[in-house]
Amino acid sequence: MKKFISALLCVSGISFASMIGVDALGEEQLVGGSAAMAGRGFAGNAKTGDIEGVSVVNPARQAFDTKVVLNLNFLLGVTSASRSSSSFTTSNISMPSMNLSFPMGDFGTLGVSLWQHYASSIREDIHNEEEKWDAEIEYQSSLYELVPTYAIRLPFFRAISLGASAHFVMGSFTRNLTLGPDNSEISKEDSWATNNSTVSDYVNGDWEIKNHPAYYTFAAQYRGRMASYFFSVTTPYTLQNELEYNFRFSETDTLAPTRIMREIRVPAMLATGVNYRFNKRHNVMMDVAWRAWDRDIENVAGSWSMSQVTKTQNDFNISLGYQRDGSDVFYDAYWDRMVYRAGLWYKNWYVEDVSEIGGSIGIGLPLGRKGMMLDLAIQGGARLTDDDRNWNESFFGIRLGLVGVGNWGKTRGQ
Amino acid sequence: MKKKNLLLLPFVALFVSSCSFDMDDEGLSRWLSDQGMPSSYKVQTVTVSDLKPVSAEVFKDTLPLYAYSRGVLGATEGMSFDAVFDFAIDSAFTARLKKMDSVKSSLNLRMVDSYYKSPYLPSNYFPIEEDLKLNVSWILSDKMSQKEWNKIEDIDDSVWMYELESWKSKKKADTTISVSLGSKDSLLVFDMPSALVNDIRKNSGYRRLQLRLSAPEASNVYRFYGPGLYFPRFRIEELGGNGDYVTYNAYRSASLPKNHEKCSDCLILHSGVFDSLVVEFPSKPIMKALSDFYGDEFPYTLGDSNDVRQAVVMAQVSFYKDDSKGKQELDMPIQVIAGSFMDSADAVVRRIENYKLDRPRVFKSGHPNMVFYDGDSLSLQVTAGLRDFINKASDGRSFKMMMRLGYPVLLDRDTVFYDRISSDKDTLQLSNGNSLAVDQGDTVRVLFSHFDYARYDFTSIKNKPATLKLWLASKRGEE
Repeated sequence: MKKFISALLCVSGISFASMIGVDALGEEQLVGGSAAMAGRGFAGNAKTGDIEGVSVVNPARQAFDTKVVLNLNFLLGVTSASRSSSSFTTSNISMPSMNLSFPMGDFGTLGVSLWQHYASSIREDIHNEEEKWDAEIEYQSSLYELVPTYAIRLPFFRAISLGASAHFVMGSFTRNLTLGPDNSEISKEDSWATNNSTVSDYVNGDWEIKNHPAYYTFAAQYRGRMASYFFSVTTPYTLQNELEYNFRFSETDTLAPTRIMREIRVPAMLATGVNYRFNKRHNVMMDVAWRAWDRDIENVAGSWSMSQVTKTQNDFNISLGYQRDGSDVFYDAYWDRMVYRAGLWYKNWYVEDVSEIGGSIGIGLPLGRKGMMLDLAIQGGARLTDDDRNWNESFFGIRLGLVGVGNWGKTRGQ
Repeated sequence: MKKKNLLLLPFVALFVSSCSFDMDDEGLSRWLSDQGMPSSYKVQTVTVSDLKPVSAEVFKDTLPLYAYSRGVLGATEGMSFDAVFDFAIDSAFTARLKKMDSVKSSLNLRMVDSYYKSPYLPSNYFPIEEDLKLNVSWILSDKMSQKEWNKIEDIDDSVWMYELESWKSKKKADTTISVSLGSKDSLLVFDMPSALVNDIRKNSGYRRLQLRLSAPEASNVYRFYGPGLYFPRFRIEELGGNGDYVTYNAYRSASLPKNHEKCSDCLILHSGVFDSLVVEFPSKPIMKALSDFYGDEFPYTLGDSNDVRQAVVMAQVSFYKDDSKGKQELDMPIQVIAGSFMDSADAVVRRIENYKLDRPRVFKSGHPNMVFYDGDSLSLQVTAGLRDFINKASDGRSFKMMMRLGYPVLLDRDTVFYDRISSDKDTLQLSNGNSLAVDQGDTVRVLFSHFDYARYDFTSIKNKPATLKLWLASKRGEE
């Protein structure tokens, strides 16, 4: 199964574009990274509906769904990093998540999500004509989670649901730094020995949770006539990354690697949110998620003059969003059946002195009569840093979400 | 909007983004620098002088050489090469043979043209003249059925080669052949002693004949074609009478090398066979030199003890050499092939090392890895071996390398060092001092494609210290 999922994610091109935290965990993909959520500033985990689907932050929400939902999300991101007069831009395409939820009436709702929680992806060549060297840098990290979820509405308090999810962590990390020789310290007569001698500093390893198969999220949701709330707790866990460090001359000409196990203690997360509905189809929403990091993260580093740790800070995410739901009536005008979204967010990264501010707009385009939907979101913003290592970044992204809806288990007219 | 158009959107966006943004190399380079990463690795050299081997041992190659296309017969100083041939004698001729009054037999060997007619041979190479003392021994099988006789051709070559290692023959005879080979000769005819043909006359019927020629006192090595190119032929003919004769083609042939070196302490290698010299250097002086240079502890013993703090980009061992005790047939330097012993999948394997060209040096004073050449040092590259050795030195191993004599070098100062087609008319300066004119389209060969059956004495390696030079790439940061 792991292999199958890995292959699937490879085909879809796993990559986030930020260069911040690449030696630690990489960029975190908020709340499952769905296009619908992104369109409203990653707010709205408390919003219930027929086809809201799986929320990895609030597994209780899906209990109110009435239809089977399959949701596939894609992200095209462009990030520009800059410091002083220097800058560079990277672009990436990725598939942050795919979700399937399966309501079973009074028996609750089952769901599963494949969520790329943290990732980093850089692959660039550098050519220096003057000094005649070439270098290649590659970071490919993907920490993804297979998240089965279950939620059920309480028997006598039908406005309240409880949900839980288990997060099975998988993924791999690779850093490959291919370098040409710098002969400045040796005599000219000795420089012949390094002709065509590129060396790769190669590190790779797998992600898993220490001493446990998964970490868990527990949530409660209240759906009111106008206002809905949720509250969730995610357990702390320790990520384990067994890394092999090597020097390579080619894939077959390589040293025996040395192995180092790094452990990253991820703290518990508390999350809450509210959705307020007015004038039937208008919603405003706000979500907050918070984690208190008490330890720095050990970096991949292992060589050169790279920093051994990434200092952490309390990370939190506040998001505000608006959504106008589309009309359910198929014969209404198309623009009226569309969903409109907008949102803002502010995020304190887990990396010390890094914050992010972003905004987004989005639409949901109905496809056919059954409620199929194509979600589009455009997002942009900036990541602000205040240290010597990380550069400020501005980012722009287009997200695409495909929502397939079905009515399995129900007869017509039900 | 139609569904198809919507699905196309992300791909269009991807295309646009990939076209719109170009990487700024300087920007990325500065980013790497801010992360503490370099954009090139710093090369540093460390020299370990006065390196004395803890052991040096010669491994003599005396296994039979299958002479499918080429074989040798004769001797050089310290080595001899017997030639063995496998024939099938048919009953029809042996029946006639019995009635003949007088017969003789001979073995005809076609000489290797690409060697004997080569323009690279020394000008005084011909004529080759000697009275060759030949010992002929043979194994004539018992009478066979035709079916068995037909199967002689199908005997596995490997089975035959294995059987040759325990050759037992009571039938033998000595003879002396007067050999005289000029540059235009291409056939060597050895008249066989009468005892051989008389033995065949006595034993009629289908038989297998294995014939072995031995000339340990020969002054030369004779190169002949094997049955893969031109059949070695055994001819029996009637003297007088009708002049009846028959010629049998050898199904297979082999050369059996024998090492006659008597000095057990000497490190003598012979070319043309896979004699090898294994030299083992102690770990301590190499570790100490690295420790002095980096200021770190060597060998590395933390964690799993695999040292990946640095990697060897190039390693070169320089030995003292003394060509005066060597002997060769051709007046050309001979390349010394270097190999190392290294880990591979939980085993230790011997690998031949790559040879990287120091072009300015080659142009100025020739390749450094040749014997029978100017100078008193021999430099061999053992990069992969040293890389593996430093990586795993914590287990207390020593560094082991191997050397072997390779092919003669035609172009000793060639900075290209691979065979190529000449793009123009040119005059090549050969390593033996001769000039060779080449036309456009001619093949320019760097190495002579035939072995010089030379002998080289490496004994001085035991007493004269070697020097190891390392080019290193280090991952250490600025402390």
